[in-house]
Amino acid sequence: MGLFVLRRLGVMLLTAIALTFVVFYLTNLQPNLEKLARTEGSVRMTEEAVQDWIAQNGHSGSVFLRYGQWLGVVPGWTYTDEKGQMRGRCFAIGQDAAAAPDYCGLLQGNWGFSTFFKTPVMASLGDKLAATGWLMLAVMLVMVPTSLILGVLSGMREGSATDRTLSTFSIASTATPEYVSGVVLVALFATAATGISPILAEYGLIEPKKTLFLASATSAMDDITFWNFTLPVMTIALYGIGYIARMTRASMTEVMTQQYIRTARLKGVPFRTVVMRHALRNALIAPFTVIMLQFPWLLNGVVIVESLFNYKGFGWTLVQAASNNDIPLLLACSVVAVVVVLLTQLISDIGYVFLNPRIRLA
Amino acid sequence: MKDMIHEAEVHSAAKMYVAEYAEGKLSRREFLTRTTALGVSAAAAYGLIGLPAPAQAQEAKVGGKIRVAMEVKGTKDPRLADWPQIANIYRGWLEYLIQYNNDGSFEGRLLESWEANADATQYTLKVRQGVTWNNGEPFTADDVVRNFARWTDGNVEGNAMASRFTGLVDEATKTMREGAVVKLDDSTVQLNLTASDIAIVANLSDYPAAVVHSSFQDGQDPASNPIGTGPYIPQEVSVGQKAVLVRAPNHTWWGGTAPLDEITYVDFGTDPAAMVALFSSDEVDANYESVGEFIDILDGMELVKEELTTASTIVVRMNSSSDLYKDKAVRSAVQLAVDPNVVLELGYNNLGKTGENHHAFPIHPEYPTLPAQTINPAGLMPALEAAGLKDAQFEVISLDDGWEAATTAAVQAQLKDAGMNIKHTVMPGSTFWNDWQKYPFSSTTWNHRPLAVQNMSLAYTSTGSWNETAMANPEFDALMAKALSLADADQRRELMVQMCTILQDEGYIINPFSRSLFSHHKDGYAGLEHHPAFEHHHYKWSMA
Repeated sequence: MGLFVLRRLGVMLLTAIALTFVVFYLTNLQPNLEKLARTEGSVRMTEEAVQDWIAQNGHSGSVFLRYGQWLGVVPGWTYTDEKGQMRGRCFAIGQDAAAAPDYCGLLQGNWGFSTFFKTPVMASLGDKLAATGWLMLAVMLVMVPTSLILGVLSGMREGSATDRTLSTFSIASTATPEYVSGVVLVALFATAATGISPILAEYGLIEPKKTLFLASATSAMDDITFWNFTLPVMTIALYGIGYIARMTRASMTEVMTQQYIRTARLKGVPFRTVVMRHALRNALIAPFTVIMLQFPWLLNGVVIVESLFNYKGFGWTLVQAASNNDIPLLLACSVVAVVVVLLTQLISDIGYVFLNPRIRLA
Repeated sequence: MKDMIHEAEVHSAAKMYVAEYAEGKLSRREFLTRTTALGVSAAAAYGLIGLPAPAQAQEAKVGGKIRVAMEVKGTKDPRLADWPQIANIYRGWLEYLIQYNNDGSFEGRLLESWEANADATQYTLKVRQGVTWNNGEPFTADDVVRNFARWTDGNVEGNAMASRFTGLVDEATKTMREGAVVKLDDSTVQLNLTASDIAIVANLSDYPAAVVHSSFQDGQDPASNPIGTGPYIPQEVSVGQKAVLVRAPNHTWWGGTAPLDEITYVDFGTDPAAMVALFSSDEVDANYESVGEFIDILDGMELVKEELTTASTIVVRMNSSSDLYKDKAVRSAVQLAVDPNVVLELGYNNLGKTGENHHAFPIHPEYPTLPAQTINPAGLMPALEAAGLKDAQFEVISLDDGWEAATTAAVQAQLKDAGMNIKHTVMPGSTFWNDWQKYPFSSTTWNHRPLAVQNMSLAYTSTGSWNETAMANPEFDALMAKALSLADADQRRELMVQMCTILQDEGYIINPFSRSLFSHHKDGYAGLEHHPAFEHHHYKWSMA
């Protein structure tokens, strides 16, 4: 088991290096650097000024050497302008260049400085990840129990009216992408002019507010309430609920046809006990993987929802970093993505062992 | 500001304006813009025409907080600033020599007064006494000279100020010319220009012209070392999220006490629909701008509406470096195929005034009256055929949402109706602005500038730094050079007649309308009047 975990961590490291190099290469293509120069310098710079800016801010030269700077195996760049003022990778403008270290990359614990947020990458990413963490937690709290209940209910009696009704709901919800369900939910619950809010407002049920829920989750950054957090959570959860419920149902129906379930039924064990004690544990192995797979999926699902509801978490940060070509931030985002994906897969592989004694990890 | 000006000291042109105002040739706003640009203080200017100066908020109530919805962009070296939103944050602690007010007048802030000589080649600036930086150091004439050196430094990539002070720059070194900016004594600075420049005063009031402290390093983020003369300091600037301005501690601001204790800018994105929800849910007290159909909706929400008619505009322009638009006949035909009335209605809900395809508006002192153009959609196809472009595929590019997209769509629809094979492509702001000067055919928003020649010299002279049409008309260049030396707006207007006619004839731009600007705020706040250049004058804000 220890060896298995070690091997997985090794794979994680290699993947992170490969992915960050790809991201680094793409963000360092000439048009992307010009874009960066225009956002960082001024949108109104001339072509010539843009080229100068790129050269004077450490973005010229071999892409491998610059990647090495980010890793911390190549000394950071410096530039001295015509007035003798220095700037460089390892010190901020106004700091003493002589006192700064030569190397300042990942190996030295320096994740770089976000050009868009104007803060160290770790500081800004930390806050954003915490925000997304809250969102994911809320989503999981809603999604996992709901979907398991729906899946078990519809799977225990295949073909019944309950099964058909719940299946229809699951298929419909999983077939609706977030950018559709988000807009529909906002129109239904969070607009003063349409949906149910005007009706509720007329009866004075939601005073002094004008809508049932808020269509913007920005204020949830400071204070999470049902009012500002329900819609983003439901938008993400709805899609996942349908999907996990379908998986649970499939797994449940299969278990319910097993010999040992029939034996138990014939022995006169009550149906309730059969489901709870004999079927459930075996039926939950497949959904467990699916749920663990939801984490990486959530990480990119939040891109749409956070942008839609203006919630400033990881997804929103990724969008800002990409559209402003914030190189260090994009690299850090990809490292986070690799770690989350591979770590959750590791947990799910280990979790298997406990759920299913027939599986052994080498 | 309350200083009296003796009759003898008043600029001779100002006296002429008084006569013109009396004859009804000048509106009040035009009168104020022109006389204050010559160095007459706003109060004195009002006095010259026998009007009382608008009462300053009498002892506004001190205390209170405000939350304003505005994009929070990263602050950067002011001379590189490319958005008014950036400046609105550093305005908390950085001040300007001269301020442009929303009644069209110029007011000395860090300058007490200024004077121009007869041909506008020499300006004498009187530095305000008793101003201190928030680190305790006094503000002096040396600070003024040093900031001029920063502004005139053409070696800094993207320095928005360098191209505005060409009369102070040594062309060889691209830095401030020896003897251009002279400190006469501790309170007087003299500008010696190589050529007349009437826009100096207006340029000193523009948002990249914030005055920074001697410890400010080139290219530094001003929020990281917030030494300024203003009443506030930044407590927090989180790009894309929020910025908080609080009173500068241990600092006596020269202007007295700014009423509000705390000003918070919150970034809720740019979706105007969100603004309605935010106001209704009491998340914000004021917004940056209200646009389009949302103005009506916000009006219905017990909010106070601020309205201002400006010279802010949109230009749907062709670029002659593209083969499609290198032919003047084609450009003119395209221009005249678009009816500005239709564009104003479809693109901007009639919330403005129609333009005349020459980028000057009645609010400008030198606005010329030209004969109306004849809109002629039927002339488009013959012109395209003559140029062999009958079946060519055209494309017009715009930002992806809001009135910019609607306006461009209205232009495209009319061209399509006239028979042109044209499609409309939209781009997000982050992509659009990267190449805004190079698109063959696209729409660009232009902010209000006090004088018409300011936008026109930037955009349509062959050397203009924001020339997006590739227009290079020697006659226009010559006229502009001459116009920029005439402090007298009437003389300038004679040249403007020719320049605007050239602009119309060249056919590069479709300039369908100028915008009225709107913003909303909750009842209970005072002093939040909208500004033509979206400037936030924090010290005027207070609780009612």
